[in-house]
Amino acid sequence: MTTPGRRSVNKWLLHAVLVVLAVITLIPYLWLIIASLKGQDDFFSAIFFPPGDGPLGIGWDKLTLNNYRELFELGFQKNLINSIFYSATTALFATLICAATGFVLAKHRFRGRNLITLVVLGALIVPPTLLLAPGYELLYDIGLLDTAWGLLLPLLAPAFGVFLFRQAVIQSVPDELLEAARIDGCSEWSIFFIVVLPLVRPMIGAFMLITFLAMWNNFISPQIVLQSAEKQPLSVAISQLRGVYKTDYGLLTAATVVSVLPVAALFLILQKQFISGLTSGAVKG
Amino acid sequence: MKGGEIDRTRVVFSWAMLAPFLALFIVFVVYPLIQSAFLAANQTFGPGTRTYVGTKNFQLLLSDPVFWKSIWNTFIYALGSLFIQLPIAFLLALALNSRKLRGKGIYRLIFFSPQLMGLVFVSILGALAFEKRAGLVNQAIAFVTQNPKYLEIDWLQQHVMATLILISLWLYVGFNMIYFLAALQSVDRSLMEAAEIDGAGAWGKLRHVIFPSVKPVATFVVLLSMIGSLQLFELPYILLEGSGGPGNRGLTIVMYLYQNGFDLGDLGYASAIGWVLALILIGLALVQVKLTRAQEVGP
Amino acid sequence: MQRVANTILALRGLSSGVWVIGALFVVSAALVLMREQEQRGDLEFWLFSLEHEQMYVPLIKEYEQTEGIELDTTLMSIPAIQSRMMSGFFGGLPTADLIEIERAVAPQVFMGPTEAIGLMDLTDMLASEGLLEKLNKPSLSPWSVDGRVFGLPHDVHPVMLAYRADLTEAAGIDLTQVETWDEYFQALRPLMDDGDGDGKPDHTPLSFWYTNQDMIETLLLQGDGQLFTQGGTPTIDNDRNAWLIAEMTSWCVGPDPVAIYVDEWSAGGHQDKVNGVAIGYIAPDWMCSIWKMHVPGLEGKLKLIPLPAFEPGGRRTSVRGGTMLGIPKTTEHFDRAWAYAKLLYTSPEVARQLYQEVDIISPVKSLWDDPVYDQPDPFFMNQRKGRMYIELAPEIPLRPSSPYNKQAAIDVRDAMGQLAEYARVNRMYTPDELLPRAKELLARVQKQTERRMARNAFAAEDLAAPAIGGEQ
Repeated sequence: MTTPGRRSVNKWLLHAVLVVLAVITLIPYLWLIIASLKGQDDFFSAIFFPPGDGPLGIGWDKLTLNNYRELFELGFQKNLINSIFYSATTALFATLICAATGFVLAKHRFRGRNLITLVVLGALIVPPTLLLAPGYELLYDIGLLDTAWGLLLPLLAPAFGVFLFRQAVIQSVPDELLEAARIDGCSEWSIFFIVVLPLVRPMIGAFMLITFLAMWNNFISPQIVLQSAEKQPLSVAISQLRGVYKTDYGLLTAATVVSVLPVAALFLILQKQFISGLTSGAVKG
Repeated sequence: MKGGEIDRTRVVFSWAMLAPFLALFIVFVVYPLIQSAFLAANQTFGPGTRTYVGTKNFQLLLSDPVFWKSIWNTFIYALGSLFIQLPIAFLLALALNSRKLRGKGIYRLIFFSPQLMGLVFVSILGALAFEKRAGLVNQAIAFVTQNPKYLEIDWLQQHVMATLILISLWLYVGFNMIYFLAALQSVDRSLMEAAEIDGAGAWGKLRHVIFPSVKPVATFVVLLSMIGSLQLFELPYILLEGSGGPGNRGLTIVMYLYQNGFDLGDLGYASAIGWVLALILIGLALVQVKLTRAQEVGP
Repeated sequence: MQRVANTILALRGLSSGVWVIGALFVVSAALVLMREQEQRGDLEFWLFSLEHEQMYVPLIKEYEQTEGIELDTTLMSIPAIQSRMMSGFFGGLPTADLIEIERAVAPQVFMGPTEAIGLMDLTDMLASEGLLEKLNKPSLSPWSVDGRVFGLPHDVHPVMLAYRADLTEAAGIDLTQVETWDEYFQALRPLMDDGDGDGKPDHTPLSFWYTNQDMIETLLLQGDGQLFTQGGTPTIDNDRNAWLIAEMTSWCVGPDPVAIYVDEWSAGGHQDKVNGVAIGYIAPDWMCSIWKMHVPGLEGKLKLIPLPAFEPGGRRTSVRGGTMLGIPKTTEHFDRAWAYAKLLYTSPEVARQLYQEVDIISPVKSLWDDPVYDQPDPFFMNQRKGRMYIELAPEIPLRPSSPYNKQAAIDVRDAMGQLAEYARVNRMYTPDELLPRAKELLARVQKQTERRMARNAFAAEDLAAPAIGGEQ
């Protein structure tokens, strides 16, 4: 039997556990931010703040924004724009393509539908690494190496997205509604844009965020496909800050902070859809 | 015949909608996939130099101790995520699902946030945090237990897979938590209330109401997480700087594939590894489907 | 019109995030499209080190003005160079005209059939222009296959021993006369006492551990151990190797080991160095600049001596790491690329900067007279360390270019791990006791390596099909 007293003890206990876990999750960020403000000399002197004579025994005066300044002197804004471009393009078009495909596979009847659905589901378990080598050869053959097209096109048709949207449509688009729209004289195209897309809007938010994040942090494919420095996204630029003779950790951590901020902001905007979107996709079908 | 015309426009529409996906999918997935099947029967020095070896790649693979080591490592990791990560994610989701809990939005945000980090940074941080003696992790363990001998735990040399499981705990627990949270939010409120009226305790509610309604999502999450775990690559690849670590204790299947294909140029052997992995994944997926079906048919 | 309006009205229901991403797409696409197309230069140069690029740029600028050609340098990480270069070579795709290749990557270039090596054979050019004599000979070995040279050496990377002279001098210990490892460990016995009573020796003589593959390979080479002949035949299973790994393992085991694990790169390891956890550290020339940058606390506390030898009269140095400059066969401007290569790699200014910036000595013997190498280095108690490294340069051991060397070295390291385990379990701590087991373990590594090599259908005779370019 639970009594009110025990319940409030339980509540405090729960909060205590959650706070501890939250702190553990957050410690790396604290480290990251402080590290990005430290000079090279102080980097290894202390795990967090450099020791000094300031309040709390911390050398506050040793903290500096130099790493950030240097980052932008190195032309990091170019990589930032590239990253935004690649990620936004992938998010937008992959979502559109997957939504269209998922809708058709869920609601339209035509010959070959089952075969295509089966192939798409099967493609879910193809390890992407298996495709790296023949994929590279292919991009060379069609002359798309070192181009944005070569990087983006292969990423615009993820089977996983089709699967998610097919689930979402099955879940939240009733057949009667489609029939009613057709009787009202809507064309198939406007049905898709006016009726279907708004109904699966949580999935749109969620999938956009997932693809945006995945492209943002993807570094294997740009590293293999792109050659020119000015085309590289942030992820590759950051990994290249790891020097050979010496790694400038201050610069590296500052770059990481810069690269996390935009996606963090985007996540804050999209987080509601994100959660409800995943529900609709996750339920069995 | 108007009906036939409508059917025809619909069919045209269907294919028009499918066209972009199908074009991209055939060119960038199906074609390379077929290529890789041919590759698996060859030994190569890059794509330019090939020699046909038949099934020799597969024969060698089955007697290759390093390959078995990589399978073993990868399964350890997958089991780690199955039995450690997912339960923790589920418990967190349960805790954060409570209506009355204050600040759950902030908790949710915090637990999910590591997803936003790039793997390059995560692995550099991991290397620093799991270091012997000075690393944050050992310092914390030694402080909590007040036993300095724990400062000497050699995560990165001796317990690489454990290190990876812990790092990915930080990285992915929030993500899986979101899935579970989404599932929990779809649990029927009236069922919960009915259970409460029936005098069901917390365990009773969990067993009779929550588990059955979460099961479809849980099945899905388990499958996704197994597929993801068995394809583990980038994290250990960056953490161990491309090698398998001492004694190949951190070598995963896909890392071995990458090593053979891109470091040694043997795309044939790499493709063979890829196909074995694909077979394992297909097997897993089939088992999963079977289990779900059996349960659906049963009580 | 009505339909468009309806669509827009309906889509208004989509979340703000979608519109944000849409806006980001439009803005970033505009920025990317408006960006001026950068003019590609006449030559392309890939390198992986920011420091190198900074040294080359002034020279390149000057040269470009006199010659009227343009060289584009592209900086990328070693894995990026590796993947692009190898996929280029593998598929015969164009790469760059000049590529700096690191030692860890280079052997892969030599993996397939010799005709398929993606780099130009520079031997005849080097010989006809007299460069072969000008370069430190052993520094060519890692870039040579069957006596043919495929790259210009960037460095020598001789190895010395850096030790905490402040601690030894305070204890009245003189290490300058030490000749062998045994004498070195003997001389430092007094510092191993447990003065602070924490149950561990205050200082351990050497930073070395049986898990560090680089260190093992470095000392194996010093002691004339050999994993492969220059021709590429594996010789892992030989008595000298077995003795060497038994000896090195014995340093790490037993009641009071003379070697200890100190991480070479991490914050904790750096702290250990400052605390004097180990007295001696294996120091290739490039390591000096790493310490200056990451462990400034060591300034004025270290001194260098040649590596103690395994036996009296033995080699007092070794070699670790290295970079070469190669010219891919796909270049359309070999003469220009070659001119650049010579310019950068034989330039006195670049050599001087290389030493001043990153403490690396040049492999060009005629540049060794430069007074920069005689400058006292305050980090090392004003030793003239450049000169000390140069004196050792001609004696560095030869290294194999075999593509199987890396994996074999990894296997040897793992064998040493097993040997250390065996030593602990059986309480056998002397090299003589460990030797039989060491031989067994190396024989196993030899077998593995042979098996790995036999898999190479390009080398094996039983697979008759001559397959160069044989797309089936």
